[in-house]
Amino acid sequence: MKNRQLKYLLIILLLSLSYPVKAQSQHSIQLDYANTLFSTRQYFDAITEYKRLLFYDSSNAFSYTANFQIGKCYKAGAKFDDAIKYFSLAELNANSDEEIYSSKIEIVRSNILRKTTSRALQILDELEKKYSDKEKIDSLNYWRGWTYIFTDDWKKASEHFAKINYYNELKILCDRVEKEKVSVTFATVISYILPGAGQIYTGNIFSGFLSLGWNVLSGYLTLNAFNADRVFDGMAILTLLWQRFYRGNVQNAERFALEKNIDVANKTLNYLQKEYRGTKP
Amino acid sequence: MFIELKVVVRLLSYAKKLTWKFLFLYFFVNSFLIAQTASNDFNFFSPLHRLSFGNHLYFERDYLRALNEFREYLKYENQDTARFRFAECFLRIGRYQEAADNFKGLFYNSTLQNESRLAYLEAQFQSGDLNSFRSIARQDIYTSAKYSREIERLYYITHLMDNSTLPDTNIFFSVFPDSNKSNVRNFYQRKKHPEYKNPVTAAVLSGILPGLGKIYVGEISDGLTSLIATGVLTLLAFDNFKQSHNFRGWLFTGLAAISYTGNIYGSAAAAQIYNAGIKYNFDNDVKIYFEKRNYFLPEKYF
Repeated sequence: MKNRQLKYLLIILLLSLSYPVKAQSQHSIQLDYANTLFSTRQYFDAITEYKRLLFYDSSNAFSYTANFQIGKCYKAGAKFDDAIKYFSLAELNANSDEEIYSSKIEIVRSNILRKTTSRALQILDELEKKYSDKEKIDSLNYWRGWTYIFTDDWKKASEHFAKINYYNELKILCDRVEKEKVSVTFATVISYILPGAGQIYTGNIFSGFLSLGWNVLSGYLTLNAFNADRVFDGMAILTLLWQRFYRGNVQNAERFALEKNIDVANKTLNYLQKEYRGTKP
Repeated sequence: MFIELKVVVRLLSYAKKLTWKFLFLYFFVNSFLIAQTASNDFNFFSPLHRLSFGNHLYFERDYLRALNEFREYLKYENQDTARFRFAECFLRIGRYQEAADNFKGLFYNSTLQNESRLAYLEAQFQSGDLNSFRSIARQDIYTSAKYSREIERLYYITHLMDNSTLPDTNIFFSVFPDSNKSNVRNFYQRKKHPEYKNPVTAAVLSGILPGLGKIYVGEISDGLTSLIATGVLTLLAFDNFKQSHNFRGWLFTGLAAISYTGNIYGSAAAAQIYNAGIKYNFDNDVKIYFEKRNYFLPEKYF
């Protein structure tokens, strides 16, 4: 190669470097700006800036990142429908299998929070068919466990956390919840047999004994009236008093059992929200 | 590979030998080009780009964000379309007063005078102050010849939405398209002759025969239950007095009296509830029907 040619080649090389670097950097600066807004929890403004980036990103180089981040902003603002829409757009614009997987997992997490858990489980099933490496399977079981927590099925949640690790923190937590919960059917049935027993079983001892007392008293008055051939009085006390207390006792047992279960679940969810350090939906 | 390395080595060796002339040439040309690119640097926040992005958001119906973009653009440039869309964003997000104020700014010396007047009236209408809307819609400075029919329709629709006196049928129906006339006529008749039940009539009927007032308002099963309950209690009272069980006789008399008076009150209340239901259903039907058709206004002005 002659010196003259080399000279031109060098000049062109040096000059050609400057423009693309600069053009690219403008979009990157915009992305950084949007990311800063996101990290400072200014989600509304962050969405605007990501949308601006998308609008002027003619080469679609930032489509995945911007859509994904918009989805995260909407999710942080509890707008799960919009979040899912943008995670789906991110999935469509993904450049790698890993990006598709991340988008899908975010869709699952949004569905868990939106309480459309059947959809979350459906997506997790689809992912399980596609991926077989242990890390991903563990991740799928993890999110399946969370899905079952949100459907109040702590037993199934425990089973899926156990698949990751038998001594998994969340597995132990789910087991504890399952153990603390009471059987609504059992509480109702024993209240039919012995008034007040259901309430005592659910831990409402005073209410249980009070219910038992009312039933014994109204039963005694009813039988006493019938024994004294005061049929009208007996019928009146039976229908207006005894039946009311007996029915009330069964209903109370069922209500207390449901309330206790909700209380146990809420306490655990509260713990998970405030204390749990692992990844949450 | 070897050849490439050779070229690179030669290039480097040549670069070493660059004369001050070449260096001067390089820095002069490159600095010029960088200056050029800097001036052409993509500025996401230039007024023109804000306008483009604002329009994009506007068409995506992301009005809250579009609003900010138009606001920023209008700090530097004045354009009727942008100003109109800025106002329309307020309208679409329910900030009617700000929408009306901004539409007003386009009433004169603007290419969108007619549209802004119609949109101004839409903002007044949507704000819910129908009396104010009606008085404004009749003033020349707020109306537009181009959209007189739309304004007239909106004016008459308001009469179905509050307690104002209904206009004459000939004028009322003439402004609506033929395809909607039968529905509008139906609304008009329902408004003019609502199928209300008179609470006094219901109470009097229940006074004559327990439960009859409830049957009058359409609660047939309730009416029959009341009739049977009051009848049984009265019979029990009568029977107990006859058997000289005075205490039970008075007890059932009291219960029968409570049932009788309670039924009279209940019948009047049922008539009021029935009337509230008729009004609620009518208001709801009118709202759904006209909202679905956007009150015969343009979905987007342009």
